[in-house]
This record gives sequence, structure tokens and C-alpha cells, in this order.
Amino acid sequence: MNTAPMPQAPQALPAIPAAEPPPAPYPTTTRPYRQSMAERLYLPLVGGLMVTLRHFLLNLFHPGRMLTIEYPEERRSYSHRFRGHHILTTRPDGSVRCVACYLCAQACPAECIHIEAAEHPDVNIEKYPVVYEIDMLRCVFCGYCVDACPEEAIIMSNNYDMAYFNRDQTIVGKADLMKPYTFDDGQLGYRPRYPEEEAERAKMRREAFSLVEAARRARQEPGVPAVPAAASAPPAAGSPAPPAPPP
Amino acid sequence: MKAVTATTGESWITTTFEKLEDWSQRFSFWPFPFGTACCAIEFMSTVSSHYDLARFGSEVVRFSPRQSDVLLVAGTINDKMAPVLKKIYDQMADPKWVISMGACACSGGFYRAYHVMQGIDEVIPVDVYVPGCPPTPEGLMYGILQLREKVVRDRERLGRAADARAKERSSEQPDLGAPEI
Amino acid sequence: MPPTPTTPTTPATPATADPTAAPYAASGAAGAVALYEGVRSKFPAGSITPVPADAGLDQPTWIVQREVLADLARELRDNRETRFDLLMDVAGVDFPDRSERFEAVYHLYSVPRNARLRLKVPVAESAESDPVLPSLVPVWNAANWAEREVFDMFGLRFTGHPNLSRLLCHEAFQGHALRKDYDSARRWILTEDKIYKPHFDLPAGYLAGQGGQVQAAASTEAQGTPATPETSALPENADDDLFERMTINIGPSHPAMHGTFRLMAVLDGETIIASDMEIGYLHRCFEKMCETHTWQQVIPYTDRLNYCSSFINNVAYCRTVERLLGIEAPPRAVWARTILSEFSRIMDHCVCNGTTLVDAGGLTNFWYMFQPREEIYGLLESCCGARLTVSYCRIGGLSQELPPDFMARCRRLLEIIPPFVTDVEKLCDHNRIWLDRAVGVAAISGAEAVNWGWTGPCLRASGVPFDVRRAQPYDLYDTVEWDVPVLYGGDVYDRYRIRNLEIRQSLRIIRQLLDRGMPGGGFIVDDPHVALPPKEKAYNEMEAMIYHFKLIMDGIQVPEGELYLPTEGANGELGFYVLSDGTAKPYRIKVRPPCFPIMSTFTKLIRGGSVSDAVISLGGLNVVAGELER
Repeated sequence: MNTAPMPQAPQALPAIPAAEPPPAPYPTTTRPYRQSMAERLYLPLVGGLMVTLRHFLLNLFHPGRMLTIEYPEERRSYSHRFRGHHILTTRPDGSVRCVACYLCAQACPAECIHIEAAEHPDVNIEKYPVVYEIDMLRCVFCGYCVDACPEEAIIMSNNYDMAYFNRDQTIVGKADLMKPYTFDDGQLGYRPRYPEEEAERAKMRREAFSLVEAARRARQEPGVPAVPAAASAPPAAGSPAPPAPPP
Repeated sequence: MKAVTATTGESWITTTFEKLEDWSQRFSFWPFPFGTACCAIEFMSTVSSHYDLARFGSEVVRFSPRQSDVLLVAGTINDKMAPVLKKIYDQMADPKWVISMGACACSGGFYRAYHVMQGIDEVIPVDVYVPGCPPTPEGLMYGILQLREKVVRDRERLGRAADARAKERSSEQPDLGAPEI
Repeated sequence: MPPTPTTPTTPATPATADPTAAPYAASGAAGAVALYEGVRSKFPAGSITPVPADAGLDQPTWIVQREVLADLARELRDNRETRFDLLMDVAGVDFPDRSERFEAVYHLYSVPRNARLRLKVPVAESAESDPVLPSLVPVWNAANWAEREVFDMFGLRFTGHPNLSRLLCHEAFQGHALRKDYDSARRWILTEDKIYKPHFDLPAGYLAGQGGQVQAAASTEAQGTPATPETSALPENADDDLFERMTINIGPSHPAMHGTFRLMAVLDGETIIASDMEIGYLHRCFEKMCETHTWQQVIPYTDRLNYCSSFINNVAYCRTVERLLGIEAPPRAVWARTILSEFSRIMDHCVCNGTTLVDAGGLTNFWYMFQPREEIYGLLESCCGARLTVSYCRIGGLSQELPPDFMARCRRLLEIIPPFVTDVEKLCDHNRIWLDRAVGVAAISGAEAVNWGWTGPCLRASGVPFDVRRAQPYDLYDTVEWDVPVLYGGDVYDRYRIRNLEIRQSLRIIRQLLDRGMPGGGFIVDDPHVALPPKEKAYNEMEAMIYHFKLIMDGIQVPEGELYLPTEGANGELGFYVLSDGTAKPYRIKVRPPCFPIMSTFTKLIRGGSVSDAVISLGGLNVVAGELER
């Protein structure tokens, strides 16, 4: 028994006979792959060469099929949920909408948001940020600040073209953060609400229900197995959902 | 080149040669991917077919510091890795540039922790910071394009490298004991 | 122990009808008290104290005196009644207020019985020396690195350990980082003279100048002298054939070592006779960072564990916290989680096979394998706005509604992915060049792999059909038809092939779930104590606004308790061991990274092979530094 000497052992250990481990239910040896005669003769290589040749010819005669994105001229179409450079939104009069509640700074895991608040002349608004700075080098673009903002004052754009030459440039203030909002709507990214999605999303909700309804109807009609056989635990009656996960 | 200037006394040779050199260097960065973490995966995306970094003359990815001129630090550099990074930077031949890709390499990101360096500029100079966690391949390529511009602007880059070395010699190792939080 | 949950919201007790807890329930309705009586009776009374079943723990737990630990471990492994042959994880916990300050927590798993057991060993801190425990390396090889990590992080010493040195932190580090009294930002500078001195397990007899008998002696483990990477690796009297023998260093900044590992190998000619691995070049203090952030803020950190399949990490973490909170995600979130997890698994396998083949010189496969990956990135980005580090899960569901074109995108991916996998299979599966390099290289048998703590595709390539999705089904995996592919080669080739097979199984799962249709309902639980209220409400209603503020300022209050919940990551069992003391921040989070035990086997796998074999076998193991070193 390979027991190390223990300090302050209170009592002697009963000797345990070192039992032979029971036979494992899994292999104790390996069975490597065996090459067939064709493989020994390198015959399958022809098939591999045909694959590369096919790709080569297809790309040669159908340049449009090529997947490369010619980046500076052509851009990949990211979705409107992209988490890029931050934007501070503005009120209709052009002032910053932020009320300096510090929720974003609190929610930020990187602690990269620095806010200094001051009294707003308008009594209804109470506070506004004199300084609102984001350290772009610290930021991990997780979107927590957007989730946390109760005013929709900070959102994100889909702008990923960011590069800095020195550290002074990387702490972006209010002016830089408000500037992107003058761009068009196509540049908006991660936000709490996506008005452009609403119509499609409503359709998705309808379809989601209808699909499950259809499945249930089909199940009630005998002889028409519309649900996969494995989904033997069907959606519980009254609930349009597939089986809930184990609690 | 300075020798050429000194012997001929004419400036136009130097300028033209520098322009030629700039031009050739701008369009053939050979990166050394010092990839450690998530950013290295995005770097792999950048060199694969969708983005194809080869379009910028950077298809020769070299893992040898002697053969590369852009050190592309992609990923978290911690205190254990810092001496390695420093050594590799020192082994690179001038002229050389450093791109710091991603939040971790730029500033430590959200790892304000006992084993993570708070930005690689604690030990080596950085030319271009690319924020993002990780940056998209486009973001990285934008950084490389910005570096191109910088090469043109950096008229005194040969002197700059010497300056950096001199500065490095003169300044003490930064006190890593208590990073400001 | 502080986590003695008494609130009704604590997770299910072992004896409930909870399907995931079924293995424990099967052990007897009386709970953990009467469990494994045959084993317990062999040890003196009082040395093993089972935690009562009604304490609300997720699995049977024994509090063990450290004096009996080594014998108990061997007995638990060998007894037919228990057969805990897989040591999942060793976690240290620090309770500064207790008289026995530290606790070593061992998570055991029995592959044939599909049962789990947790051993807790309290250790007191003494003024004169570090706390001491017996090492379990003689019982489970998996304990080797796990104990080194506990030593590194908590300063617990394991007597009998072959090489108890720091694993993750560098050698100049002072103190133990995960102790509660260690300042999370205190750093130490590493200087050249402090670098790690490798520890070679040279074969017995090798030092006596019998270098020719390497193969014969390779099985016997002998403790070599600690050596430096230079020629002083071998003692003076062993220089009879010094010309043939040398010590080389590969990495850490070397493409074959994936940028973050350092391999030091003693070569005899071209054969590796002993080697040592140094890791920690990407240790970024995940577990300490968890303790300084709120439960919700940990999610972006989990992204960066296994960054090849970050969504699975999100799911694993969120499931664990949800179980601790006693809530469950709504059906739509679970459905989407299952689908996106499988897509992430495909991505991970694509990267692994692509880079393995690059290491073997097959660059074309890398391009082909990265195509599906880019397409899956597009899907994830349309869901959450980021390509790689998604942070899409939230505790209680998802961060946002699924995009309207989710179904269409998924279906398109089902069309796109298979041709590329087929192409790679055509190029490689029967290609003799690849076969000659991969078949039989770095082979390990199923029994050995289990002893080393392997899980996941690598274990299944060695003939052990263990998959958490099948053994303890979660999410929707028990409602779809799919197979667990098993191969018996245990070598690089089978590890490559099984990933291709698993990609097809993942596609099968996704197809069935898509055919079933998207469940209705919300994407996150409707509980203002856990999830942020909908924005429309937060803007307009006072109550929702207060909840919104409270949740962000105070964080989620997770009830006291502890939980280990396994999830099948792309590499194997990804387990989160979570302790909560009832506050807004986790008391301790220990990740069981799947590739950690696999990587600890690496020096054994490459022994007797050549350096090129070592390079190729590292790729096949799919070691991701982010989760290996955290």
C-alpha cells in the first residue's frame, strides 16, 4: 500500500489486502486500424486528388463561387446585432440621453466605463454625465452595458474598424461615442430592441406555435407519425412546448 | 542609408530608396503570429479562405523571429509568457513592428489578475492596438492596413528602433507589483 | 461547512426521481447514508462521515479523514460494489473561518456503474508547515496534475507525489493564489533564473548506461533526477553514448506546441525516452476572477475557457447556476441551447481535425474545415452579435430572442456542412500518407485512458462509450435519436475519425430538433430575481425598473449550496463545481476542464515515439489552452 507517512495519525490503519482490480468492462488493448490492399497501393489518393481538382476547377471557372471577402472594398454582412463600437444615443435636441445612473459601469465585467455625473439644469432629468469614457482596450464587447442601461442611452454599432496608435486615443469620451449616431441606421448594432425585426419575429412566433400544433394534431390522428419516433415524451397536453428539460 | 547620404551629400537618393523600401515593406508584412488564446483562433480565420490575409502580401506566416517583421501578439500574455515574448521581440531584426491584437494583449482585458500582464506594452513597444475580444478578422485587417499607413508616416523608423532600445535600457523594468486597478 | 442549504430552492436531493440524478437514486432510496456499506465497514468508525441525503447535495458525499484517504481511494476503485475508476477532479476550497481551513474535494465517477461520489477531506493549517494530504497518484494517474494544481493554488502538500511543483503559476510566484487572503491583483515578476526545471521520468536502468533497453524498461516508472534543459539533464556517469542522447526544448512559442505549451524531451537518437511538459502560459486566473465578479458577470469569462466552442461553456455554467437556484430555462431556450451546443461541437471538431492535419502537412483540410466554421460563426453572430466569444446564455435562458431567420439559417448550415466533411474524409480517411503517420501513434487503451481521467471523444476512440449526454442526459438529448460512436484504435487516427463521426451525429440531433419546430414561449425565465425584466417593462413600469436596478447593482442572490454538474463539452466532461455562500458572488467555482487530464497523459503517450509523432499527437488530443490553464 503506497500510503505516505502522515503526521499526527490518530490510529493504526487496518491492513487491507491489495485486491486485484476487477476486469474492466472496456478494452485493455488497442485495435488499430488495418490498411486494406488498396490503401497500401495508395489507390484512394486518386479520390483525394479529384476533390482538390474539383475545387480548383470550380473556383477557376466560377469566380463568383469563391468565398473570399475582398475586405476593404467589400464587407461581410454582419447582422444588426453585431457588438461593435459603442454609441451614446441622444435626445431629440442633441444632448446626451444618459442620466449617469452608473448601471453600465456596475454591470461591466471589465470595469472599463468611467462616469462623472453632474446636476442637469432640467429638473426632470436630474443628472447627466460630464465625463463618460470607455477604455476601448479594456472593453471585451460583451454587451452587458447595453443590457443594463435603463434609458437605451448606450447601444452598440456594427463598426469593427478600430485601431489605435497610442493609448491616449483608446480612451474614448462623450464626443467620440456620440459621433457614430449621426451615421445611418444601417450602422446600428446590439440594442435592447430591434424594431426592424418585429414583423418577422411575430411571424416566427406564429410559426413556432403552428408547428407544434401540427405535430400534436398529427399525433392524435393514428397512423400518421409526424413527430420523430424518439420524441416519445411528447409535448405535455396544454403546453405547446416539447418536453421540458430535467429540472 | 545614412552612409549613402553622408558620402554623396545628396538627399534625393535616400528619399527615393526609403520610398522604395517603404513600398516594398508595406506590401509584404511577414507576420510572426504570437498566438496564445482566443485571438489566435480569429487569426486563423483571417488567414483562411474567407478573409485571406495573403491579399495584403502577408501570406508568409513565419514562426521564426528572424524571418518576420511584424510581431502579431494575439492573445493573453501572462507573467510566465512575458520573458518569452520579450526574447522573441529582441530576436527580430529591424525594422520591426508590433500589432497588439485584442483586449488581453492590449491591456489585460477583463483579467485584472495576479498572473496576467496588463498589456504587452509593459515589456515591448506597440505600434498598433486593435481592440476587441477578439477583434473580427476585418478588425485585424484594418489594423494591418493602419500599420501600412504608419510605415509611410514613420520617416524615422530606423532611428525609432534604436531610440526604443536606448529608452528601454535606460528605464528600469516597470514595477509589476501592484498594477493600478 | 458553510454550504449547508436549507432553503427549499436548493437542488434536488439524490433520492428524488430527477432523471439526471437517477444513478444516485438507483443506489438506494435511503440515500447516501447506507451507500457502499461494504466499503465503509472496512475503515475505522468515524473516519468516514457520509453527509445525510436530506442535506440537499447533488451527489453522495463523504467527509473523509485524511489518514484513511489513500486506502479508501484504492478500495473505492477496486471494490466491485463501487468501482470508481475515473477520478474526475480534485478541487481545493479555502474556508478561512474554519478550524480546518482547507478542504480537498475529490469527484469520482464509475464508468461501468454510471455513479458519482464526492469525497471531502478537511485539512487544518498548521503554523510550522503546509497542510499535508496523501497523494492519490498511485491509485489514479489523473491525480498527478490535479494535485499539482491544488498545491499551486492552495498550498496543500501531497506526500508521495512524484513531482509536486507549481503547475499553472510561474516558479517565481509566492503565495497561493486561490487562498481567500491572496489579493487578486498581486503579481510577481518572473526572472530567467527561476524558470521551471523539468522533471524526467527516465526509465529504470537508463541511468546505469543501458540506453539500449529503453523499450523494455519503458513500462517501469522510475524517478529520475531533476534536470535542466541543457546537457546536464543526465548525470555524469551516463555519458557512454552521449552523442546519441540529447535534451531538446520545444515551445512555448512554437507552432507545434500551439503557442502555449512547453515540451522538454530527452531523446535517444530520434526516440523520446522521457519528457516533461510545462503549462501555465495561458493561466489567466479564471477561478479567482469568478470570485471577484457577480454570478452573471462570470458568463463572459466562461466564453474564454474553451474558445473553440464557447457556447457549450456558457450552457454548462448557466445550467449549474440554474440548478443551484432551483429554476429551469424555458423550453425555447433549452431547444436553442441544444442546437447551438451541437453546432459549437461541430466547430470545435472542425478546428481540431483541421489543425491536426495541418500539423501533419495537410493544409488543404484546414481550409475545408474552416468553411463550415465560418458559416456557424455567421449563425452565432446573428443570434448574439459576436463570432467567437458569444456570451449568449444568461442564467435562466438566453440573452436575447432568437433571430427571425434562425430556422432558415440552421437548415442552410445542415446543407453546407456535410460536403466539406465528406471532402476531408475523402482526402484523408484512406490516404496512406496520413494512415502511416497516424495509425498506432500515441495509442492508449481504454482501461489506461480511464485511469488517466480521460473523457469525451478521445476516450471513445479508445473503446469506452462514455458520453455525458447519454449517461446523464440533460437538455433535450434524451428526446432525440443519436448514437455514441466508438472506435477501438485509441490512436491519433481513431481520434481524428471519431470527430468526423460525431459531426454527423451532431447534425442528426440538430435535424431532429429543427423538424420538431421551435417551441413557443419566452427565451428567459420570467423571474425578476434572476432575469432582467423585458425592456419595455423596465422603461415604463416602476416595479420592473426597481427589479432592473436591484438585479444589476446587487446581482443574483444564489442560495447557499454546492453543486457539481457535468456537461458534455466538445472535449469531454466539462464540469462546474460551484459553491455559493448566499451572496451575489460565487464563493468558489472550479472547472473540470476536459482536456486537463488528457494533457497530463501527453508525456506518457509520446514516450517511445519520435518527435514528429509527438507533434501530431498533440493536435489529435484537441487541447485548448484556455480551458486547460483557465
